[in-house]
Amino acid sequence: MAESAVDNKLVDQIRGMVDRTIQRSIKGVQFVNAGKAPVGLTPKDVIYERGTLRLYHYHPRSEEIYRIPVILVMATTNRGYVFDLLPGQSLVEYLLDHGFDVFMIDWDAPMSSERGLSLSDYTQDFIPSCITKVQEVTGEEEVNMVSYCMGGVLSLIYAATHLNGPLKNLVCMTTPVNWHEMGLFSLWSDERYLDVDKLVDTLGIVPAEFIEQSFEMLRPAQRTAGRLRVWSEMWNDDYVQSYRAFERWGSETLPLAGEYYRETTRELMWGNKLYEGELVVNGISANLADIKIPVMNAIAEHDHIAPYKATKPLLEKVGSEDTQEVVLKGGHVSLIAGPNAVRRLWPQIDLWLSERSV
Amino acid sequence: MANENAKDPAAVFQEWVTQWERAADQFSNQFMGTDEFSKSMNQMQNFQLEFQKGFGELMAKQLANFNLPSREDLLQLSEDVRDINRRLTRIETSIRNLAPVDNNSDQQRKKTPPRTKKPASQRSDLQDKE
Repeated sequence: MAESAVDNKLVDQIRGMVDRTIQRSIKGVQFVNAGKAPVGLTPKDVIYERGTLRLYHYHPRSEEIYRIPVILVMATTNRGYVFDLLPGQSLVEYLLDHGFDVFMIDWDAPMSSERGLSLSDYTQDFIPSCITKVQEVTGEEEVNMVSYCMGGVLSLIYAATHLNGPLKNLVCMTTPVNWHEMGLFSLWSDERYLDVDKLVDTLGIVPAEFIEQSFEMLRPAQRTAGRLRVWSEMWNDDYVQSYRAFERWGSETLPLAGEYYRETTRELMWGNKLYEGELVVNGISANLADIKIPVMNAIAEHDHIAPYKATKPLLEKVGSEDTQEVVLKGGHVSLIAGPNAVRRLWPQIDLWLSERSV
Repeated sequence: MANENAKDPAAVFQEWVTQWERAADQFSNQFMGTDEFSKSMNQMQNFQLEFQKGFGELMAKQLANFNLPSREDLLQLSEDVRDINRRLTRIETSIRNLAPVDNNSDQQRKKTPPRTKKPASQRSDLQDKE
């Protein structure tokens, strides 16, 4: 009797292995021949665009929505569809289903005529223009912002330079504040060795390959390991779909406007002025201590791009009394779009924002 | 149907990949996390930029002699096409917005729901009072 049970288990095991091997072969061929993964599928309208800037309005999906609209602010280095990666793996979809009116500030590759864009253009022109447009569309004065990585830095600078509203609540995800704790990035852009003027003056626009290479150098084995993993998981459609979407996103890094890169390097990376409260943008002081609105800071414990030590100090630096910190296991991208995001971060953002959006 | 509890050799492989990735990244980070690496990398980058600049200028002169467009010219052309595309999209959107809404689903979409939603905590408060 016991022997027969062992035999059955062995047969099941072999059958499972054969089944998956067949699936891998069939789906492997489909994988190789597949085009770009479809991403960012939630219906939306482009309601404002100017050069590198795009502002989307997603179609509401609830019968009633919260009074204050939410603007997602994407990092300037990558495409905004990471917020709307796949159905069921989309922060946009999640917020819409939970009754928010969702907008997104996204970026396109800057053209050579935009090489002179600076921190001031992003924080004193692009973001305010988008807010005005959102106010026009919604008829509401106040707005919330949910921002990611460098998008968080831009939102913080905006918040610190527009103290009388209309920003009501700010959520920052993996947002570097102490730039002297940026790990290998800090080391590689050491003021003694990096000639940022030569780089910007020669290239004008910092190429996407340069940015992508810098990210990849932080985890050189990640891409190969990802490919090996997807091969062994080829039978699993959900895994493959998610992998393809993430791979597409990772390979569609954006170039950066030269002046913006120069200023970020000088003011933030070398001067650490946002952290020290010494940053001045367009003649206005951008001191985090002046920010009094409610702020939520979402940090990834194993973030290799914006390390924990760089993102952690935000709440110590802002002058807000109403703050919340969320520290989750996971990395820079999985925090906002991985399985952890769906189960842990998004519900916390929903809870925190909903209480403050009426 | 495969037994879900069966130990797939792929799981062993996955584990090996994870360990290899961790070790390889750790080794690379140790190597690249030194002052010497940063210095050499930036020196190499400066050299490459100098070379790119000099070579680019030389090539542009040569191409001009042959009456051929340079890389800069082609990039400019590609940006012009992108700009035209952006403008066309804007015009298309404006025209669509001007056109009378003839479709029920479109009408539905344009209708914004009321901004009256309350958070769960406030709704339960109201229920408690009742």
